Amino acid sequence: MKIEYYIEGGNFSTAGSASSEVKKTLKQFNISPLLLRKVAVALYEAEMNVVAHAYRGIMSVDIQPFCIWVVVEDEGPGIEDIGKAMEEGFSTATEEVRQMGFGAGMGLPNIKKNSDEMTLTSTPGVGTRLELSYFVKLNN
Amino acid sequence: MKDRNYAHSIQIDPDRCIGCSHCMRVCSTGAIRIVDGYACIQPERCVDCGECFRVCPQRAVYAKDDGLASLPPENYKIALVPSVFIGQFPSEYSATQVLNAVKQVGFDEVFEVEQAVDFMKEAYRSVAKGDPPHPLISSYCPAVVRLIQVRYPSLTEQIMLLKAPHDIAALYLRRSKVKKGIGPEKLSIYYVTPCAAKIVAARAPVGEVKSPIDGTVNMTEIYNKASKILHSFKKPGLHKTFANMSPDSVNWSLSGTEKKYFPGRSLAIDGMDNVIEFLEKLESGHISDIDFLEMRACDQGCAGGILCPGNRFLAVERLEQRQKRLQKLKDADNGKVRNPLMDYKETLHAVSGVDPVYPRGGLLLDEDMEKTLIKLQRIERLMTYFPGFDCGACGAPGCRNLAEDIVKGKASISHCVFVQRVMEKNYKLSPDQAFVVIEKIWGKNRLNKYRDSHGNQSE
Repeated sequence: MKIEYYIEGGNFSTAGSASSEVKKTLKQFNISPLLLRKVAVALYEAEMNVVAHAYRGIMSVDIQPFCIWVVVEDEGPGIEDIGKAMEEGFSTATEEVRQMGFGAGMGLPNIKKNSDEMTLTSTPGVGTRLELSYFVKLNN
Repeated sequence: MKDRNYAHSIQIDPDRCIGCSHCMRVCSTGAIRIVDGYACIQPERCVDCGECFRVCPQRAVYAKDDGLASLPPENYKIALVPSVFIGQFPSEYSATQVLNAVKQVGFDEVFEVEQAVDFMKEAYRSVAKGDPPHPLISSYCPAVVRLIQVRYPSLTEQIMLLKAPHDIAALYLRRSKVKKGIGPEKLSIYYVTPCAAKIVAARAPVGEVKSPIDGTVNMTEIYNKASKILHSFKKPGLHKTFANMSPDSVNWSLSGTEKKYFPGRSLAIDGMDNVIEFLEKLESGHISDIDFLEMRACDQGCAGGILCPGNRFLAVERLEQRQKRLQKLKDADNGKVRNPLMDYKETLHAVSGVDPVYPRGGLLLDEDMEKTLIKLQRIERLMTYFPGFDCGACGAPGCRNLAEDIVKGKASISHCVFVQRVMEKNYKLSPDQAFVVIEKIWGKNRLNKYRDSHGNQSE
């Protein structure tokens, strides 16, 4: 089952609604609280990244009996150095974004921690694609 | 692991229920349906918060307690009275007078629950030292604990694993009475409860095998009896001569006192809607820098409990006055608090914990992943047929709930009055069949009051 959500860049007041919808759907499945938590936290972080850095994005979640696939794709400035972006504390967030309490540079490492597999690809000047996978059995 | 303990206190009296659906619309876990003309509670979803009790115009919703009549007359009977009970009475009655009146209702001894709060304050400090999850959620309000079990399965691990003050008070009484030669079999400890959730907590506790409390009595029942005694017995007040607990303990069950005793940053949140709004945020990981959450399902905490007969704001103000009086006694006694419960604090510490809390699974569509997927897809398809304004005429609180009930085999698509019209137009459903469907939800004879132009009742 595939669900898609639109994410609006720069709109911090509604940020989190896409991940919240996914969470609501997942609660109807017999999955462990741990898996639910991991997905909820990673998707929120991913959604925040789009809101804070990109112009717009799509979050698509594919729920299968044994796994959950997530793709978050955005149109935006992209990431110059992915290795550096994965370091804890590294952030390119503007001062404005930081003052709102975001952009501490923990987003991507936190997403990695809260997923079973993560792939991040980006074309600077075009956008970023984040793929996450979760295996239901692995999290029981 | 799932918690399959579905015992409840909130019940519906079929003799009074008219199936008006007020309760169905306010239930925050979507636990109520109208079936055969009566409100019907789904046990796996109900958290005994009592919001349905508040709105029922027929007084058909009630909280089932053990009652005074269940007290074994031969036993040594102790009433555990929460401070909010004292707050139900005007300040002309002293706490000692009120507690004495409760004793005369039919107890051998009366103990104020909040005396256990001095112990809780110390326990919170030691819990904070043990590197607990962030933020830790108070286990004080049983309705909040159950709400988390049903709606926020991933947050159950953040619930503080500590017994509530009334449990600690009961444990203290058991231990101190044994010393005086009253064994556990001769002791009956009854809690005077301000709400339904605490009745369930005593009957079927979460994280405990058995509650140290033997039974519960509805606060309204005790209030009526104690009021009669206080009115007929105008004896000038007896007063305490020393502070038997720290002064602010009397406010523990309200909103905002408990949170002060957990080291670090904490919030106090009261009212079901506020609690839900915050837990939603918390579950998505939006909140990171808070250490402790004090949560009460009722507005103004236990002063707003459904079984409190008085006004919640008056009760809060009276408890504030009481705190001041206790403070004076404490100051006059060189700042001393003489709380006998604290002599037992080491023994109590050893038994104050509870087992981990597990989710309840009330929102699950199916145990099996694959079947859930199929059901979800059916729900999405059904949603395209329904009008989407949650009229409730199908006997479910919203279109989505009806769709869920259909895939669970508990309802049919013809329950939707809009789909019915379309089916009738396409000759898929006869008017007579539609009539039967409505009667199945809203009860037989429900439509009898409507007469046709000749004055005949419809059949």
